[in-house]
Amino acid sequence: MAHEWIFIGIILLFGTIFAAVPLVVNTIVAPKKPNVLKNETYECGMETVGDTWIQFKVQYYIFSLVFVIFDVEIVFLFPWAVAYKQLPFFAVVEGVIFIVILAGGLLYAWRKGALDWV
Amino acid sequence: MGISNYQMSSVISLLPEVGLLVLAGVVLTMDVLLKDDRKHLIAVTTAVGSLLIILAALMYSQPSGDLIWGGMVRDDMLAFVFRLAFIFAGGITAMFSIGSKELAHRGDYYAIMLGAVIGMCFMASAADLIMLYLAIETTGIAGYLLAGYVRTDDRSAEAGLKYFLFGAATSAVMLYGFSLLYGLTGETNLGAIAPILASGTVSVSAICAIVVLILVGVGFKIAIVPFHFWAPDVYEGAPSPVTGFISTASKTAGFAVLLRVFIYGLAASEYWLPAMAGLAAVTMTFGNLVALAQTNIKRLLAYSSVAHAGYVLVAFVAYSELGVASAIFYLIAYVVTNLAAFGVVIVFAHTAGTDDIQQYAGMSRRSPYLALAMLVAFLSLAGMPPLAGFFAKFYVFAAAVKADMIWLAFVGVLNAIVGLYYYLVVLKVVYVSPAPDGVGSIDIPATCKIALVVLSLGIILIGTASSPWFNWAMKAAQDLF
Amino acid sequence: MTASQIFFLLFASATLVAAYLVVTVRNLIHAALWLVASLLGIASIFVLLDASFMATVEIVLYIGAIAILIVFAVMLTRRVMEDVGPQRTNTWWFGAILAILFFASASTLIWLTQWPTLPEGDVGNTVLILGKSLVDPSKYVVPFEIASVLLIVALIGSIAVALPSKQSE
Repeated sequence: MAHEWIFIGIILLFGTIFAAVPLVVNTIVAPKKPNVLKNETYECGMETVGDTWIQFKVQYYIFSLVFVIFDVEIVFLFPWAVAYKQLPFFAVVEGVIFIVILAGGLLYAWRKGALDWV
Repeated sequence: MGISNYQMSSVISLLPEVGLLVLAGVVLTMDVLLKDDRKHLIAVTTAVGSLLIILAALMYSQPSGDLIWGGMVRDDMLAFVFRLAFIFAGGITAMFSIGSKELAHRGDYYAIMLGAVIGMCFMASAADLIMLYLAIETTGIAGYLLAGYVRTDDRSAEAGLKYFLFGAATSAVMLYGFSLLYGLTGETNLGAIAPILASGTVSVSAICAIVVLILVGVGFKIAIVPFHFWAPDVYEGAPSPVTGFISTASKTAGFAVLLRVFIYGLAASEYWLPAMAGLAAVTMTFGNLVALAQTNIKRLLAYSSVAHAGYVLVAFVAYSELGVASAIFYLIAYVVTNLAAFGVVIVFAHTAGTDDIQQYAGMSRRSPYLALAMLVAFLSLAGMPPLAGFFAKFYVFAAAVKADMIWLAFVGVLNAIVGLYYYLVVLKVVYVSPAPDGVGSIDIPATCKIALVVLSLGIILIGTASSPWFNWAMKAAQDLF
Repeated sequence: MTASQIFFLLFASATLVAAYLVVTVRNLIHAALWLVASLLGIASIFVLLDASFMATVEIVLYIGAIAILIVFAVMLTRRVMEDVGPQRTNTWWFGAILAILFFASASTLIWLTQWPTLPEGDVGNTVLILGKSLVDPSKYVVPFEIASVLLIVALIGSIAVALPSKQSE
């Protein structure tokens, strides 16, 4: 099976090269005459105010927490879905129970207001 | 596909767990739907639901002794006894949680606790490494969350984080042990692993390594020296109902795993028995000696619970049916007794707002009944007849003597005397020292009152009529041999 | 040395270097990104082990979700982006000795042990087999359902711990 991944490796390798070459060539051949105005974050536009490291809202964190939970659920359901057509009825029910339990969790998170973007 | 009789009986044997899951769903629904002033009903629902589940389990889910669900779960008496104890502890903890201002009205707290109980039930019944690890993690993650539940209290947050860090590290080590076990034997089922280890194809050094690695994870759960570091800080910082729950149910679940994995799975006992005997002696002695110096009641109970883990280890290293039976009996008695002790701590802190032992002065005048409950619980912890703790210790030491471990029984008896001293010191503060001026009577919430009565009666009942309970434990122990 | 052994050494050393950098770089965002690199190394080791599904899980779950979660967690903090404290505790030598001892004994053990080998040959579609055994009552259906209990406990707990209470706003 490993040989299938060689293609992915090649794509990764070439992707990196394709992205890196223009950047490297640019830094080599581009003329460099920096001044204060050029070094601004936005050369023409808004003056920047304050630090770039600002505190993010806690909602980002809660959303990604909920996302992690359902990402794990996907990992479990993916093999189940692959085997779906060959499963007996009882096994399908098992998968549905799994989904229902977690759907209950999602419902709870929603009613609790964890998904509100306020 | 029709569902055969075999599958029906498998489903019924999981009735308690399914019931707990449904109960958790009901609790969550109530949490969303109920108004804030009626949320105390959630705790009542949890307790009543737990009681119903216990009754239903007694009626319908008598264990068959078989491996079910593809060998994931062993439906035997050992698992059954422990599962009932966990559900009981969960229900009692829910009743005590009313006494905690931060927890009483949070439905999600009860749901997570029920999740922990489900995990513990599977810790007791799991017969497969995969099942076992998932169960341990379910219990663990719920436990970390519960310990850190009161976000406004820095100590609770610290307790949660500490518990999590220790738990994650030790469970990773244990998982490494599991993976070695699987790699060497090619089996995940404990019942299938045992004969392979006994056949001698796996080298001695490998078995020793596996024993050490797994012991790290289990040792953390049962808080034996040297894996006890987290216990005092977590016990002190966590909300008291959670502390009571972790120190009884979670510890007992750890012992259930210890019994199952070491006696049923790693049956080649000659590799680990001497080391365990040493650990038992060190754990008892360390826990009791450090407990002498404590001024905070929760820290005192933390170290005393370390010592109690040592006593159970004594029964464990006796490595006989009698030993395992006395370990189970001890754990049941310990669950009931320690829950009562923490119940008193919760109720006292509910009015007095402190866990300092000096503040307990004159409690017998402020609330004679609460002091009486404390007397029963602490004397039972100390091992005074005719309470549960006495017979528990008696059986444990008897098992050790029968197994020719007289020195260990001797160390145990010496330790029991040290333990008696610090429990009596606390009782002296409660009964003899005068109450500080200007303190009133202690208000006991109704559910806590019921729970304390149930537990006190339980302590006396297990003590005075110990033989049916011990026969039950004996039946459970027979499943391992 | 076969090609897969060379690849293994390459990926394993890259994983270790990245993991080392996770704990030593002072910028927390950089540490999180090195963690991604380290996890990518582990995914490639799964590929070498012919465990394609596990490799995908590693990328989807650990890099796609958990590493991002860590980045968000770092962004929640206000001013601790740069770790200014000392990098070592006073008892680091004790930890180092313990770690070296553990490493030495574990590697000796692995070296000396006669490991059982898997039968040769193609096992077929592993994802399909996994999917069937996950919901097979005579295999892993109970752990499968318990996993959902674990997940829902984690979900409720993370909401309880992370959601700002309504009173405080």
